Amino acid sequence: MAAITVYLPISSVLDALPRVTCPNHPDAILVEDYRAGDMICPECGLVVGDRVIDVGSEWRTFSNDKATKDPSRVGDSQNPLLSDGDLSTMIGKGTGAASFDEFGNSKYQNRRTMSSSDRAMMNAFKEITTMADRINLPRNIVDRTNNLFKQVYEQKSLKGRANDAIASACLYIACRQEGVPRTFKEICAVSRISKKEIGRCFKLILKALETSVDLITTGDFMSRFCSNLCLPKQVQMAATHIARKAVELDLVPGRSPISVAAAAIYMASQASAEKRTQKEIGDIAGVADVTIRQSYRLIYPRAPDLFPSDFKFDTPVDKLPQL
Amino acid sequence: MDQNNSLPPYAQGLASPQGAMTPGIPIFSPMMPYGTGLTPQPIQNTNSLSILEEQQRQQQQQQQQQQQQQQQAVATAAASVQQSTSQQSTQGASGQTPQLFHSQTLTTAPLPGTTPLYPSPMTPMTPITPATPASESSGIVPQLQNIVSTVNLGCKLDLKTIALRARNAEYNPKRFAAVIMRIREPRTTALIFSSGKMVCTGAKSEEQSRLAARKYARVVQKLGFPAKFLDFKIQNMVGSCDVKFPIRLEGLVLTHQQFSSYEPELFPGLIYRMIKPRIVLLIFVSGKVVLTGAKVRAEIYEAFENIYPILKGFRKTT
Repeated sequence: MAAITVYLPISSVLDALPRVTCPNHPDAILVEDYRAGDMICPECGLVVGDRVIDVGSEWRTFSNDKATKDPSRVGDSQNPLLSDGDLSTMIGKGTGAASFDEFGNSKYQNRRTMSSSDRAMMNAFKEITTMADRINLPRNIVDRTNNLFKQVYEQKSLKGRANDAIASACLYIACRQEGVPRTFKEICAVSRISKKEIGRCFKLILKALETSVDLITTGDFMSRFCSNLCLPKQVQMAATHIARKAVELDLVPGRSPISVAAAAIYMASQASAEKRTQKEIGDIAGVADVTIRQSYRLIYPRAPDLFPSDFKFDTPVDKLPQL
Repeated sequence: MDQNNSLPPYAQGLASPQGAMTPGIPIFSPMMPYGTGLTPQPIQNTNSLSILEEQQRQQQQQQQQQQQQQQQAVATAAASVQQSTSQQSTQGASGQTPQLFHSQTLTTAPLPGTTPLYPSPMTPMTPITPATPASESSGIVPQLQNIVSTVNLGCKLDLKTIALRARNAEYNPKRFAAVIMRIREPRTTALIFSSGKMVCTGAKSEEQSRLAARKYARVVQKLGFPAKFLDFKIQNMVGSCDVKFPIRLEGLVLTHQQFSSYEPELFPGLIYRMIKPRIVLLIFVSGKVVLTGAKVRAEIYEAFENIYPILKGFRKTT
């Protein structure tokens, strides 16, 4: 029996129960393997206790099974952090002849109205998952977004605003908080809400939850923009260096970090073998190409100082395009 | 001085175009002050919409203010020498300023609590040593850029008549339910609603706003409506100034997180919401500062005096 045991540390809640200990290592904390229901000593691997309830599922349901023959006797996995516990039951479809009336419709039709109090919240969670899926956001960001939305929803201070707007703003804040900010335009691209409304909701939510977010920097977006432009790693590192140096030397006061990042990518790509036009970079970054031009004009005079020292120039610095 | 920039008065009874509904009130008499003494005004004594009287009243108030100022400038200059911090002096001064700046026109009056850098011709050359408080004040005075005020004309108006008969009036009921009227001196715009309430924007000082509102009310009165001048109130004042050095907004948002909001993606300036006084400041990298949300001029000055030392701390060194 090839059993890949998973060692899961248990909490100290089990301290109240009569302690079983390993005979060889009495003060070793036993590790519970929930799959097989064992308690295992981590020092010597001895299986000590074996009367733990197995919380694995009773039946496995495959998608090609007939839909009516689902033998599982339990419901969906609980989402206790979010919608108030899912302890509602549904009446299943009838099977016998008595459950159908004369026209062939089933008599008992009430399969709806599960959790009416949180219907809007569940809808919003679904919307958040859809939005996050479009830009391939990982599960931790989605969870954080759901938590933020729940907090905002319970506070009711933004009750009048569209739930989709609040959800989009929560997604933006979650990305920021996880250290991987997305631009407002990127969130706009996956949401039906305008940038203005998302911006407004963003500020309102920060005030309602009394949190703050870190300021965006040019480096936050480099890896994403450069990958989308299929630029090699050296160009990405050079662009990061250029943008950072430009901000340090205060060559671009008052410019949005996105515009500075875009201009840095332009300069780095033009100096390398993989040249990209301003229009391409503008499309990826969501900035207008005149904006890239403006920021590029500001950093162009100090171009030799901005490149990293170990950069291999395909086009030398003095031959960089001058717009 | 008395500017009739609305329609000529004779046109009222004669050319009522398209049978417009002119109210059956007899043609005005320029000499008849309308509604004198009927509705007591909290501030001024006359209800007349005559511009001449308004300007005379303003001049009288100016003279009174200047006399008060001279006395107060002496008192506060002496007091500010004794006070240790400029913080106290601004607070002490702001207690006095409401009466001082209540209806102040643009005179060369120095702020109480600040050293008069160049003595104005009004203040006496008394031998008071120039105050050098422990932390010096900025010496920069924010200039008012816009005043928004409201007034109730006290009677229902027919916007269509006003739009048809008045000059410089536009009315597009599908877009907005008010007549938009403009006058050239002082250069302002008014929104006149059918309920009789009016919003006057664009003036550069409190007195100009009041004068402009009176002119609009006079225009409406000349069109035949029994306009009064009730509850004139300044709702918002916007000021701007330049601290003359670049500012590190990132540093400011880090230290004053609970008041500041800086989102370069949304707006290039930092939005600083000061609690006391309740003013919103837009602070830009170039050093320009816009202050808004004030009901009285003193709030703008106080807010700027509060923010100036903070901004000095975030001056860009290069």
